Amino acid sequence: MMNRRFVVASILCGLTVGVLAACGEDEFPTNSCADVSTTCVQIGGGDVTTLQTTANTVEPNTTIILGAGRFAMTNSLTIRTAGIHLIGQGIDRTTLDYGEATAQVNGVDVQGDDFLVQDLTVLDAPKDGIRVEDSDGVVFRRIRAAWTEISDSTNGAYGIYPVKSQHVLVEDSRAENASDAGLYVGQCQHVIVRNNVVTGNVAGLEIENTQYADVYGNLAEDNTAGIVVFDLPGNPIVGRDVRLRDNIIRRNNHINFAPGGTVAVIPVGTGTFAMASRRVEITNNTYEANDTGDIALLSGLVVESDEARWELATATLAGTWNDLGLGAGATAGTITNFRSENIVVAGNTHTGSGLHPDLADPMMFGVLLILTYATNPVDSVLYDSIGEPMFHSTDAAMNTNDNHICVGGNTGGTFASMKLEDQSASNVVPFFRPAAPFAPYNCSTLTGGPVAEVVLP
Amino acid sequence: MRTSPGLALMAAAAAACGGDDGGGDGVDLSRPVVVDVDAPPFERLSQYNLFAWDPATGFTFNPVDDRVAAYDLNAQLFSDYALKQRAIYVPPGATMPFDPELAFELPVGSVILKNFAFAADFRAPTQDVTLIETRLLIRYADGWRPAPYIWDETQADAVYAPAGEVRAISFVDDAGQARTSNYLVPQRNQCETCHARKPSADADPEMVPIGVKARHLNRTYDYGGAVGVVNQLDRLTTLGLLAGAPPSASVPAAYDFRPIEQGGVAAIPPADVDAAARSYLDINCAHCHDPNGVQGITSQLFLGHDNTDLFRLGYCKRPGSAGPGTGGFEFDIVPGSPDTSILYFRLHTEDVGAMMPLLGRSLSHTRGSELVHAWIAAMPPDDCTGQP
Repeated sequence: MMNRRFVVASILCGLTVGVLAACGEDEFPTNSCADVSTTCVQIGGGDVTTLQTTANTVEPNTTIILGAGRFAMTNSLTIRTAGIHLIGQGIDRTTLDYGEATAQVNGVDVQGDDFLVQDLTVLDAPKDGIRVEDSDGVVFRRIRAAWTEISDSTNGAYGIYPVKSQHVLVEDSRAENASDAGLYVGQCQHVIVRNNVVTGNVAGLEIENTQYADVYGNLAEDNTAGIVVFDLPGNPIVGRDVRLRDNIIRRNNHINFAPGGTVAVIPVGTGTFAMASRRVEITNNTYEANDTGDIALLSGLVVESDEARWELATATLAGTWNDLGLGAGATAGTITNFRSENIVVAGNTHTGSGLHPDLADPMMFGVLLILTYATNPVDSVLYDSIGEPMFHSTDAAMNTNDNHICVGGNTGGTFASMKLEDQSASNVVPFFRPAAPFAPYNCSTLTGGPVAEVVLP
Repeated sequence: MRTSPGLALMAAAAAACGGDDGGGDGVDLSRPVVVDVDAPPFERLSQYNLFAWDPATGFTFNPVDDRVAAYDLNAQLFSDYALKQRAIYVPPGATMPFDPELAFELPVGSVILKNFAFAADFRAPTQDVTLIETRLLIRYADGWRPAPYIWDETQADAVYAPAGEVRAISFVDDAGQARTSNYLVPQRNQCETCHARKPSADADPEMVPIGVKARHLNRTYDYGGAVGVVNQLDRLTTLGLLAGAPPSASVPAAYDFRPIEQGGVAAIPPADVDAAARSYLDINCAHCHDPNGVQGITSQLFLGHDNTDLFRLGYCKRPGSAGPGTGGFEFDIVPGSPDTSILYFRLHTEDVGAMMPLLGRSLSHTRGSELVHAWIAAMPPDDCTGQP
C-alpha cells in the first residue's frame, strides 16, 4: 500500500510537470500523500484544471491533497463519490477562491458518504460555502468558510452547511460573514459541533430540525444572533436532544443583513433562542453583552401562527419521535412540533446583556422589551408562555409549567415569562419576573433523562 | 495496473496539451458509429464517428444503416441562447419502446447527443457559428453516463472535458442587442443536477434523459434529401429506432415555442398562452420541479405538464426555503400579478443566487419571460389573502 500510493503521486508530478505549478516539497508542508494509507492524489496549489478533472473522475475512497496557494475557481467543486477526503495545507495556506465565479453555484458541493474536508479556506462562494447533503459520515476540520465583504446581503447564505446527513463532526473551523447562517446544521442526525468560531454572520451557529447534537466549546461573536436552535414547519425530522454547553456567546450585535428568509426577522443582539424545540439543554455557557438579550425560549407559532402548517404525517417522520409526547394535529394521523418544551437552562454566566434591545426588528420584540424594561437590563432568560394554560404577572402559583421549562443555577442570570400572544404596543401585559429559584420553572432535569452523549463512529 | 485516478489524470493532462493520443484519424462517415460500453468515454468526440461538422455546411450525421436520427423539440430548455443540434443513436438490431409520458428507455449502447453553438449575430444564425461543446449521454448496462466534450479552437474535434468550463461568450441577439453570456459547460458531476430522477419517492436517483419524450418529439423535422419534412415520431418508427408508437397524429404534443421565439406572445392566439406556458415550464423546470425530482422536491412546487393541483403549481403558495430567491415576494404565483410572483422573478432575474434554473442560465430569456409573464397576468386575479 505504501509503495503504491507514492507511485501514484510521483507519476503525477513527473508527467504533468508542465501543467502543474510545481511539485516541490514547499507546496505540501502540512499534509501530503505520505500521511495517508488510501489512494491519494496531490494537486499543486492553484491548479484548478487538475482539481476539477480529478473531482469529476475520481475513484471512491481517494484522498485529494491540495497544495498551498490560491485556486481561482470559476465553477463549483462538485463531489459525487464516496470516501473522498479533501485536504489542504491550512486555513491560511490553501484557498478555494470563488471571487471571480459567475456560475450560480455552491463553493464545495458534496453528496457522498465518508467525506472529510480539512485545512483549507473556501472564500466568496456565490451560494453556500461548503454544502454536504445526503451523506453519512461527514467531517469538517480546521476549515474556514468566509466572505470578504462585511454585512453584504449578496454574500452566500450558509458557510459550513451539512444538511440531511448523519454522523457529522464540525470542529476547529471558522465561518464568517454569511448572509444567513455561518455554521448551519440542518436536518441532520448525530452531530458534534465543537471548538469553532463564528463571526459576522446573521445567525452564527444554527441547529435546525436536527436530532442528537452536542454543541460545545464554540465562540459566537459579532453575529446578529449567536447560537440558535429551532425547527421549521413541514420538515419530517423533528428536532430533539440538543445540548449547547460551554460555549461563549458574546457581543452578537451585528446588523441584520439577511436578504430574506426566517433569519431576516431575528432581532439584533440575540444570544440564543430555542424555538419549536424539545429536549434541549443550555448549560455552562458564557453570555456577554448581547444587546437585546441572552436566551429566549419561543414557540414556533411566533414565526408561523397557522398550526395547520405545523402538521406532520407520523408515517413520514424520521428517527425516534413517539417518546416525545408531541401534540396531535387537527388532521388525523398527524402531530405538530411548534411547541418548545422540555428544556433546561442552567449553569450559564450572564454579563452586560439586554441593555439595548433592537427597535427595528420586524416582529417588534425589541419594542416590547423597551416598553417593559425601559433602560434596565432585559432578564437573561425569557419564556413566551405560549401553550401554558395559566399566566399571572405576579403570583407564581397562578403560572403553569406544562411545557417543562427548567431555569436555574445561572450566574448573574434572571428569568421572566410573558404572555406573548396578548402583547401589543397599546397593551403591554406585565411580565412575570420571579426571584430565584423561579418557581414554577425551578425544575432542573429533562423529562426522560438528560441528553445522551453523541458518539460518532 | 488497473485504471486509477492518476492514469485518468495523466490522459487528461496529455490531451489538454494537445498530444496525439492515437484517436485523431477523424470522422469517416462510410464506417459505422463506434460505442464501447465496456470502456470509459473516448478522449476525442470524433472517435464515436457520430457526425461530421463543417462551419460552412453544418452537421452531417452518420448515415450507415440509418441508426443516427437528428431531432428537435417543440419547446426546449433555454441555455443562454445557445443553438442546439440534437441526435439520437440506437445500435443496430435494437429499438426503444414508445412511452406516452416518460423518457423513452433506450437500449444499451445508445447515445443521445446535443451540440451547443453560438452564432456571432443571431439575426443570421447560420453564419459565423462556433461550436462550443457536445454533450453525450451514453447508455451503459448500469444506466446512463454523461460525457461532456469541448470543441477546440480549430473546430476540428472536441476533447473529453469532465471538468467543464466557464467561458464568456459575446454575441448579438436576434433583436440586435449585444449580449455576453457567462456560459457554463457543466462539469461531469453537474449533469445530474438536471438529469437525476427518482423512479419512485423512496428509490435512489438515477440518470434519465429529459427531451426524448413523446410530447416533445411530436413535431416535424426537415431531414432534407428524399425524406424531406416528416413527423419525428413517424420517422423514428420508419427507421426502426422506435417501437410500438401509435400514429403521431394521436399523440399529444407539447406546444411549439418557435412562433413565440420569432414573434413574441402576440404571435400566438391568447387562448393558447396557457398551453404554451405549461409546455415551456415543463421542459425548463419539471426535471427538478416534479414529485420524483431530486433538486426541486423540497419546494413542493411541481411544474410538470400534467400537474392539475393549482396550489402545487404555485397559486398563492409560499416557497419552501427560497432564501434570497424570493425577490422580496411572498408567493410563487400571485394570479394576475406576474411582477409580484416569485416564479416569474426567479425565471427572469439575472441575479446570481436567485436565478432559476439553478444551472445553465446567466441571461434572461426574453421570449420565455414574456410568455410566463403573460400567462400569470391572464389568470383570474387573486391577492392570496384568502378573502373572496
